[in-house]
Amino acid sequence: MSRTTVINLKVAIVVVGTLAAYTWVANSIPQIESQVPEELSFSANVSTEELVAAGEEIYNGAGGCGACHGLGTRAPNLLTDEAGEGTIGARCGNRVPGEDCKVYLHRSMVEPGAFVMGEYGPIMPDMSRTLSPTQIWAVIAYLQDQGGTVTVSATDLQAAEAAEPSGAVTAVSAAAPATGSTDPLEIMRGNQCFICHMLEGEGVELGPPFDGIGGRFSAEDIRRSILDPGAEASEGFEALLGAMPPNFGELMTAGQLEVVVQYLAAQE
Amino acid sequence: MTSGRCLRVLGSLALVGLLLLLSGADALAQEAALNPRLYGDFPIIGSRGAIWIAAQLHLLFAAFVLGVPMFAVVAEAIGIFGKDQRYDRLAKEFTRLLLIAYSATAIWGAILVFLLGTLYPALWGYLAAVFELSMWFYVGLFFLESFTLYLYYYGWERWKAGASKYVHWSLGILLNVWGTIVMFIANSWLTYMMSPPADVTPDTAPQTVQLWSAIANATWMPINIHRLIANVVFGGAIVGAYAAFRFLHAKTDEERAHYDWMGYVGNFIAIGALIVLPFAGYYLGREIYEFNQQMGITMMGGFMSWLWIIQAFLIGVLFLAGNYYLWVGMGRIPGAERFAPYTKYMLIILVLCVIVWSTPHTMIANREELAAMGGSHHPFLGVLGVMSAKNTAVNIMILTTFLSFLLYRRANRRPVVGWARTGTLVQAGVFVISAAVVIFYGIYGYFVTAIVRIGFSVYQVLAVLAAIGLVVVIDIAMLRGSESRGAIRWGQMPPRSQYALFVLAVSFTWLMGLMGFARSGIRQHWHVWEVVRDTSPWAATPALGYASVIISLCVLIFLALVGFIFWVGGLAEKPIISQPITTSLATGGGAPSPQPAGGD
Repeated sequence: MSRTTVINLKVAIVVVGTLAAYTWVANSIPQIESQVPEELSFSANVSTEELVAAGEEIYNGAGGCGACHGLGTRAPNLLTDEAGEGTIGARCGNRVPGEDCKVYLHRSMVEPGAFVMGEYGPIMPDMSRTLSPTQIWAVIAYLQDQGGTVTVSATDLQAAEAAEPSGAVTAVSAAAPATGSTDPLEIMRGNQCFICHMLEGEGVELGPPFDGIGGRFSAEDIRRSILDPGAEASEGFEALLGAMPPNFGELMTAGQLEVVVQYLAAQE
Repeated sequence: MTSGRCLRVLGSLALVGLLLLLSGADALAQEAALNPRLYGDFPIIGSRGAIWIAAQLHLLFAAFVLGVPMFAVVAEAIGIFGKDQRYDRLAKEFTRLLLIAYSATAIWGAILVFLLGTLYPALWGYLAAVFELSMWFYVGLFFLESFTLYLYYYGWERWKAGASKYVHWSLGILLNVWGTIVMFIANSWLTYMMSPPADVTPDTAPQTVQLWSAIANATWMPINIHRLIANVVFGGAIVGAYAAFRFLHAKTDEERAHYDWMGYVGNFIAIGALIVLPFAGYYLGREIYEFNQQMGITMMGGFMSWLWIIQAFLIGVLFLAGNYYLWVGMGRIPGAERFAPYTKYMLIILVLCVIVWSTPHTMIANREELAAMGGSHHPFLGVLGVMSAKNTAVNIMILTTFLSFLLYRRANRRPVVGWARTGTLVQAGVFVISAAVVIFYGIYGYFVTAIVRIGFSVYQVLAVLAAIGLVVVIDIAMLRGSESRGAIRWGQMPPRSQYALFVLAVSFTWLMGLMGFARSGIRQHWHVWEVVRDTSPWAATPALGYASVIISLCVLIFLALVGFIFWVGGLAEKPIISQPITTSLATGGGAPSPQPAGGD
């Protein structure tokens, strides 16, 4: 072997060896993934065991609760005793006079600033920004199960789902309903209508403008254009036929669709 | 057409492609809105893997082409104001490497944009809608930067004397200005994803987001500063590795002397800037906590907590390799043997500090693990794994490394001033006092609350910085007009020392990949934190083991490409070798000197 080859080989061994060492070290430590919170769906007769099991999975995974609770330095222990008052399920009903365990835990998760214990800092985030209402109730069931009685039921889940969905669920995604609002502008913004249409200076003039649309089309025409946009092109926009997503009828409730249609029809 | 010119033409074509692509950002945004497809799919490694590799390689080349011009323009300035042609030639050699690396940067940038447009079209559309104006501006600056670089390199020989030399140097400064602005703009895009303005919600239409508020987000300036310094470190490390490679292959003593000196300069710059980098890192970390406590906790104590143990291990290797290179290098300096007995003590201190810094503390643990430890912390390691101990270890490591540099600098010099002994004693006293302050606050930190303890780290850092500043001032004054104990025998360096420079370059590059993973990973399953959710099959943030494989792959590809670029550069043009390094230069000053202090 020539001197040049020997040197190149040594350099390659040092480089690859260093990389291998770092890779080995990184693979030798505990491997922890940050999981995506999974959407939960329960039937009307969901059992307590199912709720608790789902809650435990969220608590130890996507909820990230263990990053602070249980370490004894950042936030109160939940699964073990805290200041001689027992685990969270045993003590949650005594924390606020007149407020039962379930209500207290729910408020702690969505209004974390309301209850800050002892010397701990107000670092708890509003969990409704990262977990869905169902996930939050599942976690509450799990916490109640830590030394207490689980009172979370299917009724709580149904009531939560009927209320306004959380930001985590409605994050920008064309495949999910964008908003629960009945405000036409908010509905249109949530469904990203203004990425192609313009109204009073807002949006982009790619598709037919919304300004004066009520003078050009009837409410019936507008409704049909939203529900079946590929059926007929507006004059001057033939090249875009088929470009508008055909699923807005699924992304809005019937009420929302009607609000939008009537609002646009009024733009004369 | 030479290989170098061919590469430059390819690079220009890539630039034009990038321009066309970015100028069509608005069209792509609309395309994304028209197209219900949210994500594409990349075979075998998946979309996340493909984007990760393209982004990492683009960033590595970008860091190189931003770091090296800083290096070159400082070297040219030393050449001009110190009237030393060798620095000028060194600067030109750096710039030649830069010229070819620039093409690779543009090519990887184009690959990244194409992959974003095809694999993450909705996200790309969203970002383009928010940042379209800055993207056009970015492309314009890219052209200005490219042509300033061409003028800077090709005008080197034409504008090398008199007033025109200053004009040429100004071009180098201008090149740095363009590059810095380009980096700041790109940083605004990625930091927006980490820390969007508070008034941006999932329901906010992207085109309604105020551009300046999107740019000047909470982590923008901390990242700018951190990357600016890190690029200098990285540029120095890669130049050092280049010099090491050339040194090992050198056929003449002149070549060996030149590349030995070049490697020393690269290592000096890299380690020098590395000492400052942790302070920029603290600033960034604090701003992340300020922005969102949950994000900060995820980063430092959540699923990423082990990452900092790996980081500590890597930085420990960097400090050890950098010091080792200096200690071996002292073998070619007459008079350095008097310092040799101290190196083993410095080594022991460094190793102990690395061990303390690498000690885990707050970890996510399940019930069984908590029970096995007898609590939330390990009974023994828990004591060493706290910030009081770690901050103390880091500061002592910095002081020790500074001492290595000081001994290296003093090795072949004999002060002639009458107060030399007193000066040396004062310097020693400053070291001792500084170390005592660091250790005192380290111990005291165990007896106070967390909020007080955090403030102690400021005193520790100030003690170290003050000591460094004071000792350097005394040293400069004391060595003015000093006698030489003998010329530095540049080129007479054992080959094993050069492999330390390779370890440094690989470690810096790997560390950049690791920190990039940390920065990006703390967003978890959000493209834009709590605004745009990642609903792709790749939304989960992988564990460190997987990340390390991707990082190693990126580093390997990067180094292979850099090796190829250097090889091609060698084909196109012969290396610029300076004159034999035996003539004398002015002594004193803080800049690394390639020659003996005197002429004996």
